[in-house]
Amino acid sequence: MTSIQMPQLGETIVEGTILKWLKSEGDSVERDEPLFEISTDKVDTEVPSPVAGTVTRIIVAEGETVPVGTELAEIASGEDAPAGSSDAPAGAAAASSAPLASEAGSGPSTPTPDQGADDASSAPASAPTPVASAGAGSAPGPLPDRGGRSQILSPLVRKLAQEHAIDLSTIEGTGTGGRITKSDVMSVMAQGGGQAAAPAGAPAPAAVSSPAAVAPPSVGRAAAQGDTVEPMSHIRKAIASHMLASVNETARAWTTVEVNVDHLVKLRDRAKDAFLATHGVKLTYLPFVVRATIDALKAYPTVNSRIDGENVVTPRAVHMGVAVSYDAGLIVPVIRDADAMNSVGIARAIVDLAARARAHQLTPDEVQGATFTITNPGPYGSLVSVPIISQPNAGILSLDAIQKRPVVVEHDAIAVRSMVYVSMSWDHRLLDGEVATRFLARVKHNLESWDFAEDLGV
Amino acid sequence: MTRSTWLFEPGGSVPYDPANEAMHDLAARRLAGEVPDVLILLEHPPVFTAGRRAKPEHLLWSEQEAAARGARVRHIDRGGSFTFHGPGQLVGYPILDLGARPDAGAYLRALEEAVIRTGAELGVELHRREDVQTGVYAGDDKVCAIGVRLMRARVALHGFALNCDTDLSWFDGIVACGLPNNGVTSLSDLLGRRMGVDEVRPVVRRHLATLFNLSLTPPPSEEAARSNLTPMHARAG
Repeated sequence: MTSIQMPQLGETIVEGTILKWLKSEGDSVERDEPLFEISTDKVDTEVPSPVAGTVTRIIVAEGETVPVGTELAEIASGEDAPAGSSDAPAGAAAASSAPLASEAGSGPSTPTPDQGADDASSAPASAPTPVASAGAGSAPGPLPDRGGRSQILSPLVRKLAQEHAIDLSTIEGTGTGGRITKSDVMSVMAQGGGQAAAPAGAPAPAAVSSPAAVAPPSVGRAAAQGDTVEPMSHIRKAIASHMLASVNETARAWTTVEVNVDHLVKLRDRAKDAFLATHGVKLTYLPFVVRATIDALKAYPTVNSRIDGENVVTPRAVHMGVAVSYDAGLIVPVIRDADAMNSVGIARAIVDLAARARAHQLTPDEVQGATFTITNPGPYGSLVSVPIISQPNAGILSLDAIQKRPVVVEHDAIAVRSMVYVSMSWDHRLLDGEVATRFLARVKHNLESWDFAEDLGV
Repeated sequence: MTRSTWLFEPGGSVPYDPANEAMHDLAARRLAGEVPDVLILLEHPPVFTAGRRAKPEHLLWSEQEAAARGARVRHIDRGGSFTFHGPGQLVGYPILDLGARPDAGAYLRALEEAVIRTGAELGVELHRREDVQTGVYAGDDKVCAIGVRLMRARVALHGFALNCDTDLSWFDGIVACGLPNNGVTSLSDLLGRRMGVDEVRPVVRRHLATLFNLSLTPPPSEEAARSNLTPMHARAG
């Protein structure tokens, strides 16, 4: 069964009106044959069917306006059980069209013995009316493997069985692994089994009496016992589409530098208590990195730019997005005009925005308009990360875990220093490697050489 | 990469029905891959056309009254409501393959952009009113109506109608585009001097070519003959 939905005719087009159905319920339709006409704002179009099959249900009537993605109709494609089984559960239809029904269903993969097949095989060869014939007679609907029995059927066997209304569940296959072959079907036909195909739309009364037909419908890959199944949240969906759009639209490249932050670690250890006492917020490394990055953005403004149509827009101010994880997912609150702040202002802004993000209290304009983004997976132990650019920014800088490492220092001596990888995913549409690398080198230089002590006001 | 595109410019007033027929024929053949993209730029004799969503009451004159004034009424398959085509109006029908997953919204915005750039070049500031409707406006007044159809959700047909020195009293016959509170205007009214179709056409053509990356070439002569896109009578340039 194929679900037909209101198509997306453009990012800004969110709904459409059904002008006309070109097919009615019960009509067959070819693949790419126009199925219905829609009207959206100022664009009308006819929409072709994605599959060949039979229109089994029209859900949205002509004249109705519905959002993009709304289910409009169902088409039983040629591989599905034909129209007679339109009342079958969707799961059963899916299983019957799947080439490996046993994987989709919950039944065992060996043939179940109690479906008449054994009766057929044990019936005396001289019996004039094999059970297959009786079975087909009581089940006019062509229902190949509807019973959920494991069967790998060739298209030819399916076709033959459908055309002659032969209930395949009553045939004992003679092929490899008990498969039903063409000659098995032919021999049933030769014995008078089957009949002309039932008219489309005829009910399938026998389905109810078949023991397997009442088996619960199954989904493609069923959740195992104990698994939880929950719909995606709106925020998760929004994050998913934002991330995917970025991957699809940006030419992402990645560069990293290693930074010696030994003196920053010592400064923080020395100043953190006084900082908390003076300013009321904890001192982290993030304000240092934001400050160092803003200076580099001023030096290399294209890293602060964005693409707008065929133009490149380079804002004068830096509005720094800081990725914050919270219970609902990920959000990027924005420190507006961060370039006008010192480390204390930035530290306060980060703490304030993160706290309100986690309390779900951010306003929409506090999560919009970032000109660049910093993400900080370091506290969780990430050594090097390759973030996805938050569009429309040209780059996202990642601050990973600060670790003590043996490094080569002056005079070729080896010493233990606090080191960190600072990386940037950047959009190669806007920047080239030279600018990206010079930018990161500037961030590294700032972090290694600036004396932040005065900036902290402690 | 530029798209090789046939340019039809009959250079006169082409009756609506044969033009509409030629447009559909070319679109169907574009869909089948038999012809390249096509751009048709022409004028029509007076005609009121109604899109599929047009409300009958938005035709303020009866069909007889319209006919008495020399205009026909046609119900057609584009999006949008009533509009008017007639002398002094540049009508553009881009027949473009927008691909398997077209962004119809972006296509409409690009058509608007071509007209906005044309206005800027001619010295009049035009803009979108996406809050109101597709089209190009000066203030609250519409200067260019846009209505499009996609054949098989893929090939664009119909297009835009830009008032150059159109006799705007024709619009008294309809509630243009179904918007009672928005007026209509023309480039000539906006500029305070006559700005005819022949002057506007090359500017629009150039901006369309830039925006859609079209490499415009004349169609083969047999296509020009087949298309029926011939003016009723020759007009002095």
